[in-house]
Amino acid sequence: PAQPLCGFSNAVVQILRLHGVEDYRAHDVLQDPDLRQGIKNYSNWPTIPQVYLNGEFVGGCDILLQMHQNGDLVEELKKLGIRSALLDAEKDKEKK
Amino acid sequence: GSAGPLARTIRAKLTAALQPTHLEVRNDSPLHGGPPGAETHFGVLVVSGRFAGLAPLQRHRLVHEALRAELAGPLHALQVTAQTPQQWQSHPQNNPPAPPCLGGSKREKRRG
Repeated sequence: PAQPLCGFSNAVVQILRLHGVEDYRAHDVLQDPDLRQGIKNYSNWPTIPQVYLNGEFVGGCDILLQMHQNGDLVEELKKLGIRSALLDAEKDKEKK
Repeated sequence: GSAGPLARTIRAKLTAALQPTHLEVRNDSPLHGGPPGAETHFGVLVVSGRFAGLAPLQRHRLVHEALRAELAGPLHALQVTAQTPQQWQSHPQNNPPAPPCLGGSKREKRRG
């Protein structure tokens, strides 16, 4: 989403952007009350945002932030065949 | 300000469920446009031996389970930091601050 309306959702968007991940499906639950409740039932998770990688529920904003900080997100993206942009940023640093 | 009823409930339920060695409960509702006294958005820092061996997702689920009724009700958002006592001792940290609110609650579609 270009304009998330929630600070926690925006944090997820910004983290993904840092890794160069912009091509993903996003669903605005503010536009769909049935989805908003349905996804909470599906994942047995009480809050939004909810992040799914390859159909698997990963967690919310806090967990994604933790994964970003400890390097797990780079690894999980790699498993999906996605090369994190941060790996290239590291390479650029080393060249200087 | 003094802790409101939901803050007290959160504290009591997390204490009973997880026997934390350290617990912080933060009311972030004012950051999300809440009027004075609002109790909708909270952040918690829970340090408990119960989290040992559990991945972050499992830790957060334990916290959510303790607050199931509240999360189905007035508690709209809950930031969670869940650490074992060993982790807490090596990296004592404040509750990370909530990301800035972008006003989403004001734009909800309402039924009927």
